[in-house]
Amino acid sequence: MLKPILLVEDNPNDLELTLIALERSQLANEVIVVRDGAEALDYLHARGTYARREQGNPAVVLLDLKLPKVDGLEVLAEIRSGAALKSIPVVMLTSSREEQDLIRSYELGVNAYVVKPVDFQEFVRAIADLGIFWAVLNEPPPGSHRYIKPQ
Amino acid sequence: MPEASTAAATVTATAADIATCDREPIRTPGSIQPHGFLLALTAQLDVVQVSDNLGQFTGIEPRQALGRPLIDIIGSRSAEALTPGLRGGQLRERPAHIATVSLGGEAFDVLAHAYDALLVLEFEPAHASHAADVQRLYPLVGDFLNKIGDADTIVELSQLAASEIRALTGFGRVLVYSFDEEGHGNVLAECRADDYDSYLGQRFPASDIPRQARELYLLNRIRLIQDANYTPARLVPPENPLSGKANDLSFAALRSVSPVHLEYMRNMGTMASMSVSLIVDGKLWGLISCHDAEPRPVSFLQRTVCEQLGQILALRIKNRADADELQFRLEVRRVMVGLLGGLTQGADFIENLRSVLPELLRFARAGGVAIVVDDRLITFGYTPGEEQVRALVDWLSTNVHDDLFHSAHLSARYGPAAEFTDCASGLLAMPISRIHQHYLLWFRPEHVYSINWAGRPDSKQLSSTGQLNPRTSFDIWRQTIHGASTPWHEGELELALEFRTALLGIALERAEQMADLAEELGRANKELEAFSYSVSHDLRAPLRHIVGFSDLLMETAGGDNAERRHRFLVNIKESARLAGKLVDDLLSFSQMGRAALRPVRVRMEDLVRSCIDKLAPDLPDRRIDWRIETLPEIVADPSFLQLALYNLLSNAVKFTSERDTAIIRISSEQLAGETVFHIADNGVGFNMEYAHKLFGVFQRLHRMEDFQGTGIGLANVRRIVERHGGRVWARSVPGEGATFSFAIPNPVDIA
Repeated sequence: MLKPILLVEDNPNDLELTLIALERSQLANEVIVVRDGAEALDYLHARGTYARREQGNPAVVLLDLKLPKVDGLEVLAEIRSGAALKSIPVVMLTSSREEQDLIRSYELGVNAYVVKPVDFQEFVRAIADLGIFWAVLNEPPPGSHRYIKPQ
Repeated sequence: MPEASTAAATVTATAADIATCDREPIRTPGSIQPHGFLLALTAQLDVVQVSDNLGQFTGIEPRQALGRPLIDIIGSRSAEALTPGLRGGQLRERPAHIATVSLGGEAFDVLAHAYDALLVLEFEPAHASHAADVQRLYPLVGDFLNKIGDADTIVELSQLAASEIRALTGFGRVLVYSFDEEGHGNVLAECRADDYDSYLGQRFPASDIPRQARELYLLNRIRLIQDANYTPARLVPPENPLSGKANDLSFAALRSVSPVHLEYMRNMGTMASMSVSLIVDGKLWGLISCHDAEPRPVSFLQRTVCEQLGQILALRIKNRADADELQFRLEVRRVMVGLLGGLTQGADFIENLRSVLPELLRFARAGGVAIVVDDRLITFGYTPGEEQVRALVDWLSTNVHDDLFHSAHLSARYGPAAEFTDCASGLLAMPISRIHQHYLLWFRPEHVYSINWAGRPDSKQLSSTGQLNPRTSFDIWRQTIHGASTPWHEGELELALEFRTALLGIALERAEQMADLAEELGRANKELEAFSYSVSHDLRAPLRHIVGFSDLLMETAGGDNAERRHRFLVNIKESARLAGKLVDDLLSFSQMGRAALRPVRVRMEDLVRSCIDKLAPDLPDRRIDWRIETLPEIVADPSFLQLALYNLLSNAVKFTSERDTAIIRISSEQLAGETVFHIADNGVGFNMEYAHKLFGVFQRLHRMEDFQGTGIGLANVRRIVERHGGRVWARSVPGEGATFSFAIPNPVDIA
């Protein structure tokens, strides 16, 4: 029933920690993991290895800023540039509060910009809050397809 | 108006002077001096014009002579003596002595020249000559040539010439004077009898000799007035009967001079005068001027010898002046070369100028120097105050648009300079930037001097009839000159321009160096930004992971999932190791930008071998086929270059780890001006779409767990190669392999 969360993360440690945090938030949404910007765009455009995925946009994209090949900002720019994707909520997840990244992200129309807390408990709380807000509380843009989770 | 050798007396010529002098018909006076007579002939040797004193010498009245053949006037003997010289069109416009003839028992030198279609014959009594025999004259010339060879200065040369001409002609006083830039005549040398006044060191104003007289002096190099009390003999008819115009007597030896000039001579107590032109480089350099209190005939032969002495003197003056000029320029140039050497020493151009201030003074023989660069003002020696210099520069920049400004009387050009004539009566200034208001200024102090004018300036006045009356007093009139410096020498000005060109060249070079530096700084700054960006991102990540997995480990401490706990521990250890490596790599990267390169000749094959040896211990299980082609020597810093090679080779090893047998080929090629090296592998390669990111700091094209690395290796490679002035690039087909290439410039041969 619920739309999935798209997690774009290259670092295996960050990935594991984020997945643990999402698991603890007890969200019902499926979490789809892609490992770099190019793969994220493949998923979003339903092309390449994702050509036959289920229809519909994710509830939210949790996007790491530094990614191999195509980085987070480039992914964000591409999402915002096309009619099909531009209304997807995007949350930038990064290691640091670099001003240039913040400015650039907001210029490109990010919905939230979150610096990953160093303390793990805080990190878990932050990820849980994000998941609940964007995947549950937030009303998605009109006209978006409901995602039916396969049983 | 005086027009010949004697000096006139005005300090400043009035407009009336000049106008009057320029109207004076000095070439066409219509008369001759009466100590000889003139016959003008047609080509058929018929007499068509005579001087009205003809009867005195021949007993034939002028009117009766007209229209008759020459032979009727001077007799067949004399005519026969002259005829060979008159025939065949051999006469020129300068008079030639064609014969000495006898008329009524008296000997006459006959000079002939052709002008306006007339043959002009001038008869001068030969008996009046003063010791005019060839045997006596030519030894004098020889003697003069010997002595003049030993004279060192122009003054000594002039002195010799004055003595020689006086001995030759018997004039009571002989002066040699030169004209300065304004045309004033300065008496350099003098030889006189005891009862004659001295004019040595005095100055005759330029207005003494009108322009047309100077032109005449260039054409006709010697002039004689043998008796200032003469009454001119008029030409009959008064005009050239062939042309109907007044006769041009420019070249006639007997040409009559202006009555004003004669009056002037009488006022001066001079009854006879002669002047010889000194012509150097086609210009009237000066005059030899002779005076006598009594009428003094000078024979054609004597005059010819005097003219030759004048020519010899002029030649020697030219040699001497050329040698002096050359010596002067050599000396100035020597100082300039030293200056320029000093200016290229250090990094700061202005500081360099500051270090050569004494030489700058010496270069322009100045008392003070100022350098104005933007807000900076450096002064040295005796200069005006800071505000005065700045105001002067403002004035220069708006009013002077030449590459060089010079004045030896600055206050005449720039009023406020009257305030500081003591240190800056003279100024030599030049802009030393094409863009900014930067100036180099040399100051010369006031040089107060006196001019002994030969007579008071107010002694020559227009009479009521509108004619100029010459002065009657020849007492020295002393004028003191203030506000002027010693003049700027032409050689100094030329070398100053040369110096300026060199300065601009140095400044331009500096500007280019600055631009390079700015570019370098910009790049360093960008790298620094990338560095700090990376520190904030990439160094935080492993720390966060350590904290995260430690927390998880503590949570699961009592649990039974040992496998999970072990993984957390491995993650913690790996993160810690990565953090350490990141710090190391970042440090080496920053060091790469700072350490100085020490390029030497490097054998690339040796470098490649030692890199492979270094890699070997980490690769016990790998099968790698190293294909190393013959590689050339290059000039580079070996330790830096080895690091770059190591990064490229370890990359090649890393990205071929999935191959059964890795093939890594190292080859080279020579391009124009650079040597290119290729490291090709058969590994996973990369998508060319991302090639532009390859060499950036912390850029990765692969997942962390697939290929280890901090993302600094290729950034290091680029940095090392670029610091050698080279470039890097890479090509790949994903799945088939990658080729990384770099080019190092070949050393420039220093011929």
